Amino acid sequence: MVDSAKVLAAGEPRGVARLLSVTGGRVTRRIRVDRLARRLVTLGGVAIIFSILAIIFVIAAEVYPLLKKPTASLVGTVAARPDSAPLAAGVDEYREIAYLVTGAGVQFVGVKDGAPIAPSPLAGLKGATVVGTSPPRRGPFAVGLSDGRVIPAEVKFSVSFPEGGRRVVPELLVGDPIAADPGKRPITRLAHVVTPAGPTTAAAVGPKEIVLLTVKETKALIGPSTKEASSQRLPLPIKGEIATLSLDGRGEDLFVGTSSGQVLRVDLRDPSDPKVAGAVAATNRPGAGVSVMGFLIGDRTLVVGDTLGGVSSWQLLQADGGERRLTKVYDFMPHAGAVVAFAPSSRDKGFITADASGVTLLRYGTTGETLLTIKGEGERFEGVVLAPKADGVIAVDAAGRLSQWVLDNPHPESTLKSLFGKVWYEGYAAPEYVWQSTGGTDDFEAKFSLSPLIFGTLKGTLYALLFAIPLALLGALYASQFMHPTLKGIVKPTVEIMAALPSVVLGFLAGLWLAPLVEKVVPGLFLMPIVTTLLILIAVFCWRFAPVGVRRRVRAGTEVWLLIPIVILGGWISFQLGGVVEHLLLSGDYRGWLLNALGLTYDQRNSMVVGFAMGFAVIPIIFTIAEDSLANVPPHLVAGSLALGATRWQTALRIVLPTASPGIFSAIMIGFGRAVGETMIVLMATGNTPVMDWSIFNGFRALSANIAVELPEAPEGGTLFRVLFLAAFLLFVMTFLLNTIAELVRLKLRRRYRYL
Amino acid sequence: MATRAEMAVEELRGEVSVRASGEGQRGYNRGVPGDTGVQGQAGEARTRMEPMIEIRKLNLKYGEKLALEDISLDILKHKVTAFIGPSGCGKSTLLRCLNRLNDLVDGVTITGTIRIGGTDINDPNLEITELRKRVGMVFQKSNPFPKTIYDNVAYGPRIQGLPPRLAMDEIVERSLKGAALWGEVRDRLQESALSLSGGQQQRLCIARAIAVEPEILLMDEPCSALDPIATAKIEELMAQLKKQYTIVIVTHNMQQAARVSDYTAFLYLGALIEYNLTKQIFVNPSKKQTEDYITGRFG
Ligand SMILES: Nc1ncnc2c1ncn2[C@@H]1O[C@H](COP(=O)(O)OP(=O)(O)OP(=O)(O)O)[C@@H](O)[C@H]1O
Ligand SMILES: [Mg+2]
Repeated sequence: MVDSAKVLAAGEPRGVARLLSVTGGRVTRRIRVDRLARRLVTLGGVAIIFSILAIIFVIAAEVYPLLKKPTASLVGTVAARPDSAPLAAGVDEYREIAYLVTGAGVQFVGVKDGAPIAPSPLAGLKGATVVGTSPPRRGPFAVGLSDGRVIPAEVKFSVSFPEGGRRVVPELLVGDPIAADPGKRPITRLAHVVTPAGPTTAAAVGPKEIVLLTVKETKALIGPSTKEASSQRLPLPIKGEIATLSLDGRGEDLFVGTSSGQVLRVDLRDPSDPKVAGAVAATNRPGAGVSVMGFLIGDRTLVVGDTLGGVSSWQLLQADGGERRLTKVYDFMPHAGAVVAFAPSSRDKGFITADASGVTLLRYGTTGETLLTIKGEGERFEGVVLAPKADGVIAVDAAGRLSQWVLDNPHPESTLKSLFGKVWYEGYAAPEYVWQSTGGTDDFEAKFSLSPLIFGTLKGTLYALLFAIPLALLGALYASQFMHPTLKGIVKPTVEIMAALPSVVLGFLAGLWLAPLVEKVVPGLFLMPIVTTLLILIAVFCWRFAPVGVRRRVRAGTEVWLLIPIVILGGWISFQLGGVVEHLLLSGDYRGWLLNALGLTYDQRNSMVVGFAMGFAVIPIIFTIAEDSLANVPPHLVAGSLALGATRWQTALRIVLPTASPGIFSAIMIGFGRAVGETMIVLMATGNTPVMDWSIFNGFRALSANIAVELPEAPEGGTLFRVLFLAAFLLFVMTFLLNTIAELVRLKLRRRYRYL
Repeated sequence: MATRAEMAVEELRGEVSVRASGEGQRGYNRGVPGDTGVQGQAGEARTRMEPMIEIRKLNLKYGEKLALEDISLDILKHKVTAFIGPSGCGKSTLLRCLNRLNDLVDGVTITGTIRIGGTDINDPNLEITELRKRVGMVFQKSNPFPKTIYDNVAYGPRIQGLPPRLAMDEIVERSLKGAALWGEVRDRLQESALSLSGGQQQRLCIARAIAVEPEILLMDEPCSALDPIATAKIEELMAQLKKQYTIVIVTHNMQQAARVSDYTAFLYLGALIEYNLTKQIFVNPSKKQTEDYITGRFG
């Protein structure tokens, strides 16, 4: 240094050059470090963006199949050459062997080539031909013969895997023929179910008359079981003729579709005394008659197709008087022509209907939506089959040709409508938003409405913020503007430590300790803000009359110590008063009063408790960020305001608060984001009931808690699994949108309140 | 227009006159030159004229650190008084004592008395906001609020209770004219004050200060961040303003002090070294330190 200064003083140009080169060397090193740092930062940023995109991509990839349109691709058409026109058809779960119900009985054919397989004659035919069959369903069915008899039957497939291959062997079980019509008229329309008590068959023996055949098996502990068969004729008060019959799986109700478009219900709950229990017009198209009818899995939803192409679904719902009535649930997209065939899925509420022009429509009973149109080549199908795994459709035409389509329809129950809209579920009186993912039985109708969960998330967030924002912001304002710095030095870190409290601890405390405690003192709790505020105001008023000497002893910014006993006193008075108020005004029991006067029920784990607990999680965040931004308001602005004669409150509200508004806004938004994503507290402190109700005394179920609750029960790749991913996606989108909007607003505010 | 502010000021004045009659004679008006060690004509002048601010034996400590030491001086009505002295000598501190802005600082202890118009401003029963309404301040660094130009000027009157809109327009216009800014901003009153230039911002702060009609205007290096033209404007303005206001200005610029002030106080290391007519201080300083500082042979 000294050296170069000397050289400079001497005015030698070489010295200047050396000086430059020295600094030049340092500069290049600095630039190198700079560049390295910049690259590292860029790399980090890009990596973060990339990983977030990757997460979105993974989630979206899991969600995509839920909303993908189903597809069907034609595998081929083969000629099966049955002995007569097939009446109905069925297939095994691997779609290898189909069976056709024909005049001669049941015929098995290979689906691939149409070749006949091991003929198994229908025993007891005795020269008669099969002229009718009961509507297709899983398990047993019955065929009607030309001589007035009925034969129960069942097709079973046994599957074995010899030498790595697969062998499907069909088997036809045939029951004893029953003489249904002594008049020996051909039985073309019949329905058949096997209940635990025994089989029930209904057969039309005339245009307006049916015969009910029931067999009651009573199993004795010792000795042979007894069978008691009964047969009853029942004339029906209908217009037109009987077109189709359908029995529910419990054998309780018989539905009769007529050529005049009516559906008549016959109550069979007392088998010895069947009663006609009312009729409804099943189509609203003039001149249409019922052509096909059948139950979806679970036997609660009856699908009715008519001769003009209309398809609707119906349920027996309890009316006000406790009497059950057939109620229309959905009208499906109509066919162009008469509906000729119907087949339910045996794994979900899906079904297919086919019309005379060879168009088959895939529908879903829960949502009332038509998912897919499958076009044949113009032939008239006599029967359609939805494969047992709902992964294929087989249609058979009058000439016995089998057409096979492969279905790609893994999640028929999830459409935008079923995920977000109101859906009319089985057993519900009206369409509703329901989340109920699993049930006890196979035929359970999954209810995947995300609306109650989104609602729950918003509700929890709302109540948490309602509690947290005023406390946190007022606290921050006080701490930054009025509190003594030493005191603030204690208070602020303490509040920040609160943020480090694991939310599972908060949730645990809230659910197990706070909730029962709150339940005891609800009226007092609602009185507390009013009473405490009043007391504080009174105290402040009295303070003005305190002698100057006393007032001077209290250092500015530490008055808050004096308020602590007052707040405690306020709490104590509120709880005492709460008891009195409950006794005098709420007739001694606030819960009863809530129910009677406001129609609200009180759950122990409710939104209020969640509000408190989640408030605790959110307050530190909002407080800290808001306090920082308030404290960062330049002191010269504060001094400027005070110097104009403003009080400290005026300064705080008119200068500090607006100037800090961008920071306060971020604080609230970050708190909001935390509350939206909060899981453990809402999981533990609410009842997790997915109800849609704003009441503060009710629980709710949040998206995040729902994921935690249901994930263990969700098989990978299943609809529930993917719906949970969708819930995660929604959470992600919600926080993303929130943060983006927050950032935009914040930038705008900052431009407006940019200070020097 | 009898605003609440004015009424309050009247009240204060009433109090002052009572006190003045009670204490005035045995008060500090006597013997000021002797007390402070300030000599000559200035003392004469002051005895003839009414002192607006009387500071007696003022000591100020920031924690343990003594920032002002035994300061006594009188500041005269409708005059411009300049505080000069090297950086850190306590000029700003002394200025901020006059509107009790030091209250904001934690750990200050003040002893001694300051009377403004005869009222002890450290009296615990004094409404501090009333004091600050009477003693306006313009800061070293311009500090307009992040609001519109109009709202900046209207802020002071508004916090004292909202006068009707028309009256407010009038106040804003009068104040901006008083601060020689009206012509430049009359068409952009609703724009952000932060869109103004530095000099304009400083004049806006002056307008904001005079909008509440104070009696005293404290200016802490108001021109330190300004170019010569803006400085000239503000100096011109001070010459105007002193007809109505008593002005106390802190400056590092000797020429400025010489140009604008009637009296000059030289502070050094928290003590008042010399206080006299500006002419006297610059032409014939009585203390060696003052002379050294003024002539630039100093620190
Ligand atoms: N808030 C404070 N806390 C502690 N010490 C302070 C504070 N403000 C000022 N001081 C000290 O008091 C002394 C006087 O400061 P002051 O700001 O009055 O100086 P000044 O004369 O205005 O200087 P300048 O010309 O640089 O503005 C300085 O030594 C400073 O360090
Ligand atoms: Mg200063």
